[in-house]
Amino acid sequence: MDERLQTLRERVRSGEHKRFRQAAGIDILAECEGEHLSWMKRAARLTRRQCEAERVVIEPDEQIAFTRTLPCIPSLYPAKQWAELFANHTMHEAGPINNICAGWGQVLAQGLLGRKRAARTSRQRLIEDPQAVEFLDSALEAIDAVLGLAARYAAQAREQGRGDLAAVFEHVPANPPRSFQEALQSLRLLSAVLWLSGHYHVGLGRFDQTMWGYLQQDLETGRLDKPAAEALLAEFFIALNKDSDLYPGVQQGDNGQTITLGGVRRDGSCAVNELTRMVLRVSRDLGMIDPKINLRISADTDLDLLCLAAELTQKGFGFPQYSNDDVVIPALVAHGYDLEDARDYVVAACWEFIIPGKGMEVVNTGAVSFPAAVDRGIREGLSQGAGFEGILRFVDEDIRRQVNRIAGAYERLLLPPAPYYSVLMDDCLELGRDLSQGAKYSNFGIHGAGPANAADALAAVQWFLFQEGSVRPEELLSALDTDYQGCDALRSKLAEEGPKVGNNDPRADAFLARLFDSLASACEGYGRTRRGGILRPGTGSAMYYIWLAQGHAGMREPVVGATAEGRKKGQPFAANLAPSQGVRVRGPVSVLQSFAGIDYRRICNGGPVTMELSDTVFRSPEAIRKVAMLVRTFARLGCQQLQLNSLNLETLLDARIHPERHKNLIVRVWGWSGYFCELAPEYQEQIIGRHMFAQTG
Amino acid sequence: MMTSGIAFDIREFAIHDGPGIRTTVFLKGCPLSCQWCHNPEGQSPEPQVLHSPAGSRRVGSVFTAEELASILNRQAAILKDNEGGVTFSGGEPLSQASFVARVIDLLQGLHIVLDTSGYGSEQDFRLLLSRSDLVYFDLKLMDGQAHRRYTGGDNALILQNLHTLAASSVPWVIRVPLVPGVTDTDENLAEIARTAAAYLAAGNSAGTPGLLRVELLPYNRAAGAKYPAAGRTFQPAYDETRPLNIPTEIFERASVPVRVEPH
Repeated sequence: MDERLQTLRERVRSGEHKRFRQAAGIDILAECEGEHLSWMKRAARLTRRQCEAERVVIEPDEQIAFTRTLPCIPSLYPAKQWAELFANHTMHEAGPINNICAGWGQVLAQGLLGRKRAARTSRQRLIEDPQAVEFLDSALEAIDAVLGLAARYAAQAREQGRGDLAAVFEHVPANPPRSFQEALQSLRLLSAVLWLSGHYHVGLGRFDQTMWGYLQQDLETGRLDKPAAEALLAEFFIALNKDSDLYPGVQQGDNGQTITLGGVRRDGSCAVNELTRMVLRVSRDLGMIDPKINLRISADTDLDLLCLAAELTQKGFGFPQYSNDDVVIPALVAHGYDLEDARDYVVAACWEFIIPGKGMEVVNTGAVSFPAAVDRGIREGLSQGAGFEGILRFVDEDIRRQVNRIAGAYERLLLPPAPYYSVLMDDCLELGRDLSQGAKYSNFGIHGAGPANAADALAAVQWFLFQEGSVRPEELLSALDTDYQGCDALRSKLAEEGPKVGNNDPRADAFLARLFDSLASACEGYGRTRRGGILRPGTGSAMYYIWLAQGHAGMREPVVGATAEGRKKGQPFAANLAPSQGVRVRGPVSVLQSFAGIDYRRICNGGPVTMELSDTVFRSPEAIRKVAMLVRTFARLGCQQLQLNSLNLETLLDARIHPERHKNLIVRVWGWSGYFCELAPEYQEQIIGRHMFAQTG
Repeated sequence: MMTSGIAFDIREFAIHDGPGIRTTVFLKGCPLSCQWCHNPEGQSPEPQVLHSPAGSRRVGSVFTAEELASILNRQAAILKDNEGGVTFSGGEPLSQASFVARVIDLLQGLHIVLDTSGYGSEQDFRLLLSRSDLVYFDLKLMDGQAHRRYTGGDNALILQNLHTLAASSVPWVIRVPLVPGVTDTDENLAEIARTAAAYLAAGNSAGTPGLLRVELLPYNRAAGAKYPAAGRTFQPAYDETRPLNIPTEIFERASVPVRVEPH
């Protein structure tokens, strides 16, 4: 990285660009109320007024411009009315459509003027349909708003003597980009306006596929050489870090600004290109938290690419996250996705597989608490003397009940109209139908959380109560009720001597696989939702690994106390697919073997095997190559997704005491990476705990 | 034949213990008591309990050869697929030579590394050498008296086994733990370099793969970290804080390939 880029990067890290921010946001309530605008019209008005109110910022040495100046998203309705809109409905998270991916390839290729023509054509065709006409008019209003913003950037650039940048904004995003720079600029502006319109977790799609054509052309014609292309790419990545503190998220950094690389093309051929490698290199050298990178691989991905990815892992940002095409694509097809679309999947904010431009999926409607289901099964089964099979029946029943409760709540889902997002999707304009009404794929994702703990609990009960007979049912039940008060010996026996997931021990792994089968069956058994979609079972836990153990406001899932694998009340469950906390494992090979036992054809909502490797592992090219082989092993074993983190315990401990010295320390938290010092103490503790374990022994 | 053995750990993805993805078995029990030993729980051949702020933990699992081989064979395909295999370390594998030999015989053709102090009978050494694909052989102190003082054992046996090793067709690596003021002296390292150079020359004329290189392992200040948990006090009779001497040129001058291994 040259000096200019380093300076740009440092300026963004230190927040210099925040001086351009406006003190207050705009208010559009008065005009919306005064004009009695419909919800659809208000959504378009929001995009328009935000674009109009944005102050143009062009810094002297920037090649990729746009700095957000508006600090917030204005309300569309007075609070009371907003609540009334959702009175008999379920609001998903904060409300607005989020955590999907636009059809960036099509949008860039058509330009906003192309999308405008599509909207006009549909409007003519659907002129008799007032709903369609209102939607299309709103979409056109949003398009014009973005074009207006770009025109102001162009004018300002001319005024500042930046004819080069003016020429870019005069051409994009209105038209198809003529160069890599224009493509990057177009993507930056179009995605920024999504955030300005209240959307969040805005995915950036298959970056190395949508952008490669533009770059390839520049490289061939000599407009760019490789260093110049890398500099532009670096600048684009730096720009993506400018507004991230304004993005909503559970924790700072949880913003879902992800890109997906590699994998196969829609025709099944290998999609890896020079840009794939360039992104990995630039991200490694840049050391910034955005964009988060997902790499699609398969059993025969070449080791050199995996080495490059391992070098990025070494930096400790917690990405790239790996997804295994050999497993993901068939799983999507088995869940009703067309093969070509399945091959085109990207990873959403955390880990869910979605189709750019075609998915209006709500990937995280909730989580089934496996530990709660198992706890219930054990209690009811034992107290009724139902035998071990009886316990398993109660577990299945409870999983089904939890699935039905979550899906039932989402039958009343109400998504606010999203005319601007609709512009960026593949066929909303073509069909004259707003994105909130659904797209080609409109499924709901439900994750199964705490699987390792739950499987360990079942294994402990089967082994100690039914096989060995060394623990009596009453003994276990009373220990669970009293949170193991005075039952230390029993607790340590359950915690330390039982079969555990993560050791490639079939006595525990069989229950892991069984829990996910049960979840998949419950989802299949539910059938179609009212939105016409299915329920997609997944293996991710997001914040649930803490919530399900400790409770959280507004959560639908049950909280569970002490559990039969020897876990005391309140202790977090393992995040995603990982051995229960405190379980000693022999290492990553057995962990992968344990989690390879899940039938991933039935699981298509994603959720990674999560592993930490000490940063000491990465200290030579030979070691990097071994990490690459470990990643290849993940794929060859047929696991679905892998989140591999590099951590240094001393650094983490020091960061807790001296946060000021470690402002740049980035760690993977669940599906995302954040600055360690900005995380709440309980998350810091959890990460430290995970890591201490990884280093002992 | 000994049918069971004791190990204090089985660690996968042991990247410093040989080529490729491999799993290391740490045999429990060692006849030496090197002052810088960072695995105090590897010294006693009996199970023991470690106590730390993180809780108590029983260390030392007794396996039959069949049990241990079955655990390792469950990942044999993965280890083979990734240029790796199994490393037997310790503790001291020679102390449980017949058990280790039996385990190796039960493995599905895996690449075997023997990581040894060389302190064991010639018979035991030959038993494992004939089953190994690569040997990491520790050379600590060439001076017999200093060796007895710092490790509690005589190095005559070690040097004899080294001779046996050099005469075999198995490739090998000398590993030298650099301990400040003890093993890192110019005299000691020069003697090791001389020995290595002689074996290199002999290997070259015999046409065996022989000695591949010398690896210097810089002292780890965390050496004493596990002693309190093992109920012991770490009391080295040397100054831990003394800067380390890493004179790689001694080896280079003797034309002995040398590598400093990060820990």
